Amino acid sequence: MSRPAPYRRKAMEHHAKRYGIGMLFMLPWMIGFSAFVAVPVGWSMFMSLHKVAVVPGGFKYDWIGLQNYRDAFLKDNVFPIELITYFQQMLLMVPVIVIFALLISLLLNQKFPGRFVYRALFFLPVIFATGQVLSELFSQGAGDIPFLDQYNLEPLVRQYVGGELAKTVMEVLGRIVLILWYSGVQILIFIAGFQTVSPSIYEAVRIDGASPWDSFWKITLPASMPFVSLNMLYTIIDLFTFPLNPVLKHIRDNMFKVDTGYGYASALAWIYFAFIFALIAIVTGLFSRSMSKRRGRA
Amino acid sequence: MSASIWLQKAGKQAKGLLWGRRVQKAKMIVLGRTLSDGLLAKLAIYALLSIVAYLYLQPLLYMVSTMLKDMSDLLDPTVKWIPRAVTWENLSKAFKGLQYPVALRNTALIALSCSLAQVLVCAMTGYALARLALPFKGLITALVILTFLIPPQVIIIPLYVIFSKLGLLNTLFVFLVPALFGQGLKGALFILIFRQFFRAQPASLEEAAKLDGASSFRLFFRIMLPLAQSACLVVFLFSFIWYWNMYYEPSMFLANGFTPLSIRLDNLEDVLNPSLLGNTHFITNPVTEGTKMAAAFLIILPPLILFMVLQRWFVAGIERTGIVE
Repeated sequence: MSRPAPYRRKAMEHHAKRYGIGMLFMLPWMIGFSAFVAVPVGWSMFMSLHKVAVVPGGFKYDWIGLQNYRDAFLKDNVFPIELITYFQQMLLMVPVIVIFALLISLLLNQKFPGRFVYRALFFLPVIFATGQVLSELFSQGAGDIPFLDQYNLEPLVRQYVGGELAKTVMEVLGRIVLILWYSGVQILIFIAGFQTVSPSIYEAVRIDGASPWDSFWKITLPASMPFVSLNMLYTIIDLFTFPLNPVLKHIRDNMFKVDTGYGYASALAWIYFAFIFALIAIVTGLFSRSMSKRRGRA
Repeated sequence: MSASIWLQKAGKQAKGLLWGRRVQKAKMIVLGRTLSDGLLAKLAIYALLSIVAYLYLQPLLYMVSTMLKDMSDLLDPTVKWIPRAVTWENLSKAFKGLQYPVALRNTALIALSCSLAQVLVCAMTGYALARLALPFKGLITALVILTFLIPPQVIIIPLYVIFSKLGLLNTLFVFLVPALFGQGLKGALFILIFRQFFRAQPASLEEAAKLDGASSFRLFFRIMLPLAQSACLVVFLFSFIWYWNMYYEPSMFLANGFTPLSIRLDNLEDVLNPSLLGNTHFITNPVTEGTKMAAAFLIILPPLILFMVLQRWFVAGIERTGIVE
């Protein structure tokens, strides 16, 4: 099958020409990826398998295998609890944020004068819903809803949810407004998503006698299902770096402790990443399955 | 006789019909043809949105109101929203405590330069992924997505070491260099946005330019990039805001010297109360609360103004970018 040499050279030249420009465009990213992502990721994995001590002029590595990972679950009495607590909160926060974003974007998608003012209002938190300003507001206790205390909802939640979970629910409810601040981008994605459904479909359905209620459940919601999954993923990733995330604080604290150090902190970070990654995989899997099922039916 | 009865009946019926029409018309105005365009529905939407918007923006109002309170109002629990006397002292204290002009310059420098770099590099990378021939394109795309998923906490220590070896710590370049190489803050997201945008453009445009003898670079910078104006604006604004607000990375890389506003805010308590060194986090100190809120307000003011100016293009841009397809 081998072709004569000149042809092969020509083919290679052709390939070089074809790929050359693409590679040139990709070059900055590739350099950046290897220098600022691939190397640190490999290094951090290497560290997580070692006991890392800071000595003058660099690090000292002692191979301890998976000891760091084992310690995280068996020796550390803070990390597993915080991880589980934060995951419970997250499982509550993600649907709350996505559903809130869906409802608000449905309202904002209606035609009424002055809607761009409201759109701007609901997008506003994106400007400062990150970082230090937010945690400052958190620590001042701003952003709880007044009727939580007024109607004394806590015993009610405790009665119906029960036990440890009630604490999680109360904690999420206590800062619900600031959590909802995380829905700015999601609202925009939903609004943009609604534009992909052509108005003629609604027209046709109305002529066939469907009520707006029907058309929401039969058209708007199914059409925005991809955006629901997109928003779920975005929200999960966004909550990674939630400023008051106790897991991240624990990782940071362990970084500078003498007896644990960078190696242990890296192991914690990787465990955290594995959990989040599993969550993302589950969400993606569920949505792609439900979507392919729908396509199969149609 | 029967004719007049018939006439009367017909008149009544006509009146009924007319009345019915009028009722229908009124109903149309109030309820609308579909649920969404009647007067009633509109009022309901306004009411609902206003209530939610109030709740939503309450922390912001709290910030402004606390900022304007003087000492006695801050300590008095009966003063909730409206201060008895408006004071600007908090603002001036925060202005000094943050070293506002210097910190503002630092933050603006980081946000502007890195965002510009990100727009350019992410557009290039996105274009290559969308349109140009590349070996292992699927793998590279997967890697781009993977960089979005890796939490910064995982790689922050090695990055710290790399940056200190390169001598970039505590300078602007600690953020500018990664941004120039496509690894800026949430750069992967922007690459995907551009990829999506360029994929949606018709291929005939490029073919025409190629036939006219334009090189790939000319084609990109003269045609594709100007075409992507709305995507560029969206990416620039998001990038600007995220760089402006970022806290975690600067707390590691810019701890002293070239400090942006977010780090100064973190240190503000120490500046205001040198006696309480350490352990001041999450203890709400009602005396400094006003100053802190003033500082927070000063920090979000510039991006707020920027957003107010650009918001119409921004929202329209997002709808047009096709981010969501």
